[in-house]
Amino acid sequence: MRTIRFGHRSRRRRALAAGSAVVLSLAVGTGVGTAQPKATKLPPAKTFNVALIGSDSGTNADLGTWDYQGTTLAAAYINSHPSAFHNVHIKITKFDDQGDPTTAANLAQEVASGHYDLVYGSSLSTDTLAMMPVLSAAHIPEVTSGQSNAILAQGDGYVFLNSAPSSIYDATLAKYAFDKLGDSRVAMLTNNDSYGASEHTAMLANLTARGLTPTDDEVVVPTATDMTGALSLIAKANPKVLFLGMEEVQSGLAVKQARALGIKAVILEGAPAATPIYVQTAGLSNVVGTIVSSPYLSNTLNAQTKAFAAAYMKAFGVAPELHGAKAYDGMMIVATALNMLKGKWTGPTLAAAMHRVKYTGLTGKFVFDSRGLGLHATQIAVINNKGALVIPKNAVSRPSK
Amino acid sequence: MTQFLQTAVGGLSIGTVYALVALGFSIVFRTMGLVNFGHGDILMVGAFLTATFFTSWHLPFPVAIVLAVMVAAVMGFGFERILRPLERSDLNLMLIGTIGFGIALEGVAQLIWGSIGTAVPTPIANTPLHVGGVIISPYDLLVLAAATFVMAALYVFLNRTKAGIAMQAAAMDYDAATAVGINVSRCNGRAFAIGAGLAAIAGGLVGPLVYVQVSMGSSIGIRGFAAAILGGFGNIPGAIVGGLVFGLIEEFAQGSSYGAYTDVITFVAFTLVIMIRPTGLLGEQTVARP
Repeated sequence: MRTIRFGHRSRRRRALAAGSAVVLSLAVGTGVGTAQPKATKLPPAKTFNVALIGSDSGTNADLGTWDYQGTTLAAAYINSHPSAFHNVHIKITKFDDQGDPTTAANLAQEVASGHYDLVYGSSLSTDTLAMMPVLSAAHIPEVTSGQSNAILAQGDGYVFLNSAPSSIYDATLAKYAFDKLGDSRVAMLTNNDSYGASEHTAMLANLTARGLTPTDDEVVVPTATDMTGALSLIAKANPKVLFLGMEEVQSGLAVKQARALGIKAVILEGAPAATPIYVQTAGLSNVVGTIVSSPYLSNTLNAQTKAFAAAYMKAFGVAPELHGAKAYDGMMIVATALNMLKGKWTGPTLAAAMHRVKYTGLTGKFVFDSRGLGLHATQIAVINNKGALVIPKNAVSRPSK
Repeated sequence: MTQFLQTAVGGLSIGTVYALVALGFSIVFRTMGLVNFGHGDILMVGAFLTATFFTSWHLPFPVAIVLAVMVAAVMGFGFERILRPLERSDLNLMLIGTIGFGIALEGVAQLIWGSIGTAVPTPIANTPLHVGGVIISPYDLLVLAAATFVMAALYVFLNRTKAGIAMQAAAMDYDAATAVGINVSRCNGRAFAIGAGLAAIAGGLVGPLVYVQVSMGSSIGIRGFAAAILGGFGNIPGAIVGGLVFGLIEEFAQGSSYGAYTDVITFVAFTLVIMIRPTGLLGEQTVARP
């Protein structure tokens, strides 16, 4: 078990983030617009301690990095506007679960016996599921980047998804690919971790609802890097569409290996395909035409995303993508709930307030149900020959709930 | 039949990488009787170095690999030099030293290259070839050819050069080799350097097939280690056979109806073979230490 706390580089990044928050605050009126009280006499400063638990090493380290960047950018904004947030100061402490559920559960125990008000994480569904019982028993709310429907199925009142779950991502994909484009020869390649299993179940349900059966349905382990055994079976089935349900790097490898085996099928995927890591791993020429379901399609979509992207770029030197936007939204939702409580919280009151939050963020409109589902829609995009996501003309602009 | 051949091609491709890793483990074990648990991490460093030389410095891929091998060989030689005082006292301490070395390498790699890792583009045009209904990736052929060349070169070095024969002699009988004037410590240093070089070649070749990141050494390293044991630890031909067999088992498991249990099937098959033949398929070879 290893705990990474802010080092020199992190402090520099926080300073950058704080500076960029000024830019952001000028431009992103809507970022916290639903929750800003009138600036009055400040109450005594209170520190809100956040344990950021995520995979900061291993194959899925990119997810941990994006969570870190999105949350610290939001925290910098909140901390630089004490009058708008009842003088609550967000303090983030970073923990590396190494993408391992056992490590994540151990960290949850450590956090539960500490002085933390919120857990942000994990970036992986399997790790989130491992932490949930511990955090719930300790009455610590948890905002997760996990997207597995299994998280919602727990019915845990302390967990909140900062994005839509697999069922929503895949319903959007199915509606576009099968109903609009009329594709019916679909092969599936998923892994069997919590996220992959959730994607598998959700897509299979969508196919079954339309009377379709996958031409081939292969499941690999999440650690598989060479998937040619499974892909050669898929190649034999000659699908028109290949649905992927696995994390970013593994998806990229699958596409790269699929193309090397001559599989020309259009790739269909949810959130992982909306990231630069997917494009970089697979190679641009291999991913052109990938149909993506995502709630965050572009940094230039509107004034809010433009301001966010500018601040993110200034703070971290890279352009944001879906996961950074999700993390930012998640932290702003927490800030909105803290405002509703006028800066005085306990675990149970914060969880209850978060269930009442109505927040329109970078990725859409959040209204939480009792299971922790807040975002109810994603959109369709296609990866173009520059690696960017573009909304196809025949796609539904934003499906209603 | 086509499907069988298709899966076999995939298995041989990844199997050659495992064979290279297994060779690195074996050459150190047969010479010193030591398992270098830092071997997988040297592979990771080799993969990062190749990726850096190839993608950032824009050097040709073969040059990138050769440079990575040179750096890794120097690293391996230096590591053996650090561990040398322990050689005559306690081999277990050396073994723990290799574990520490691996952990240190991961830390240094994370400092240099970060935790996110990097994707390496395929260095050649990878338009698939169709041979009798079997689809073959040109890069797989390149890996196969490069690994075969390296194995042949190693064979020639060990059997046709003075330094290689001295290493063989030191591996066969420590005392006799010392008595005839062979510098056994130097042989050990060479074994470490060659082992590290082989790991770097494997890392460089596997980079475009996988995603290069700090923890990659443990997953490929453990498979290479298992392959070395499967073929017969310390046995050079055994390492090659073990690597290929391990790759084939893994690929056929993934291509079966139980692809979700690939790791379980592969390692259960490995365990069964080891239970039947505890010294591996071709028998274990190691130095008789005084």
